[in-house]
Amino acid sequence: MTHANERLFDHELAREWKLKKTRALVDKRMELKEAIARYVEDGDSLIETGFAYARGPLAAYWEIGRQKKKNLVGIYTPDGLNNIWHEFGGLEGCHVAYVGVEMRGLISPFRRGVEAGTLKIYSEWSHGGLALSLRAAEQGLNYVACKSMLGTDIIRSNPYIKVSEDPWTGEPVCLVPAMYPDVAIFHVHHADKYGNGRIWGLSVNDTAIAAAARKVIVTCERIVSTDDIRANPYQVVIPWYVVDAVCEVPFGAWPGDMPGMYYFDRPLQERVVRIDWKTPESTREWVEKYIYGTENHYEMICLAAEDHGMNVLDYIKSLERLSCAAAYQNIGTWGSGADVDWTYEEVAKRAI
Amino acid sequence: MSEVRYTPRELLACVAARLINDGESVFVGTGLPLVGALLAHKMHAPQMMAIYEGGAIGAEPPVLPWSVADSLTFYKAPIILSMSSVFGHSRAGYADVGFLGGAQIDMYGNINATCIGDYDNPKVRLTGSGGANDIASLCDRVIFMGLHLPERFPEKCDYITTPGFLNGPGEREKAGLPGKGPWRVISHLGVMGFDEETCRMKLISCHPGVTPEIIQQFTGFEMIIPDDVEVTPEPTDEELRILRNEVDPNHLFCF
Repeated sequence: MTHANERLFDHELAREWKLKKTRALVDKRMELKEAIARYVEDGDSLIETGFAYARGPLAAYWEIGRQKKKNLVGIYTPDGLNNIWHEFGGLEGCHVAYVGVEMRGLISPFRRGVEAGTLKIYSEWSHGGLALSLRAAEQGLNYVACKSMLGTDIIRSNPYIKVSEDPWTGEPVCLVPAMYPDVAIFHVHHADKYGNGRIWGLSVNDTAIAAAARKVIVTCERIVSTDDIRANPYQVVIPWYVVDAVCEVPFGAWPGDMPGMYYFDRPLQERVVRIDWKTPESTREWVEKYIYGTENHYEMICLAAEDHGMNVLDYIKSLERLSCAAAYQNIGTWGSGADVDWTYEEVAKRAI
Repeated sequence: MSEVRYTPRELLACVAARLINDGESVFVGTGLPLVGALLAHKMHAPQMMAIYEGGAIGAEPPVLPWSVADSLTFYKAPIILSMSSVFGHSRAGYADVGFLGGAQIDMYGNINATCIGDYDNPKVRLTGSGGANDIASLCDRVIFMGLHLPERFPEKCDYITTPGFLNGPGEREKAGLPGKGPWRVISHLGVMGFDEETCRMKLISCHPGVTPEIIQQFTGFEMIIPDDVEVTPEPTDEELRILRNEVDPNHLFCF
């Protein structure tokens, strides 16, 4: 078995793999547990999708932790809450464009791992540079020549990129090779049973990642009919033929943001980042309780509701309200069935 | 003693907002820039075109987003692109101002968001670039916002994540970087620009109650201090009202 990094930029290996994938309309629905067990293998590289904590497949990440996958290689463009597994043997190293939660600060387990040298960083990137690496794979290009990262220390801490001359103008350009992660997991609003995934909002890098990754799992808020997808293909960002598994996982981006359906659980994220994950001991306690101590995502959500002193229905409704679901009422089948009397502005002002 | 009308962060946000002209496109980085950009939009720059790295362009967020890619960043956006497209558009010439924060900025306007100490054996591991490197490489000019402390304004960054003028005059061009580079630095003590000849940071104005000596004390390198240093105008009541009631009503950031 080769190391994930040896597969990451191998154009031929990726192509051979994809030539073997079925193009047939096959029902790929399965339980999330089964999808993770089958398609996330120890030692795989796993790329972040959506914007990590905004429309990220967090239910799937918690399940990866629950199944105690070993020695994964993270590709963080960006990452927020999915880097904690190195203290549990789940993460060997990572390729980093960004790890953190913006104005909420740094992630202690990531800091600890890197500062102690127990979590390897294989390469440093900018968001734009890594986005182009995936875009190159999608577009069938060996590499792209770009103007990011030039002149900086990132060039020195990334063995995969090169500074070269534009053959026409002679000016310096940064060459970024096409990247093919082993696994990508997307969380979308709607998917059909074949894997066509539709979103509302930012696709970020998802169309590129879908084509680049070897193995693809789609989790969705709702399974919808293929007729529904065919009637409105404009927001479909994941095509069926790249997809290996489809899992219906309502609240699959919780405790992150799912546009139009639910918003960040801010107090929970603040507490997790600032307190629960502060030390290796407290992180272990948190993982024992919320990950190893739960059977699935919904038990975890129930625990969180308990922490808030709410019953789970009120808790979920509160997150729906924060998401300003009313703004989505005119988009055909979109919407979460949440209270619709609110206007987006009113709700947002209360929420934020 | 006069009444305390505003906090240092509120002053920062108001000063930053004033640097944005109506009709400009602004690539908004995370943190304080989110606040400054939204305040400008709600004050004097209704035609400001905000670009977020998540892919949203031209949105009108009702209040401060929590992330540069959360659902508020594309509220009422006429179009949503992808991450590589918004950076591509910036290189193509559609981004006038890049608006950034970071842990350290040095005398040439280089920014560090990667690590404190040696990269291979860091004292503190920070977030990494995110979109900051791309924003500063590709936008036409760059505004940096941050707190003013000697260790945050070192002579040389521990790691250059995001390019300013690199090692001095002509270095950006030599490296092949398209944008004009750093233009303004706004700290809680003053507003700085860069000397055209040497590319070194230069004081433009001190915030009320701050002297050039104080600025120098809180700076880890020799700040160029010209004779004509001005006093930054205080936030107006209107600026503070909109900041507190409309931009950041729950004091997420301006405390």
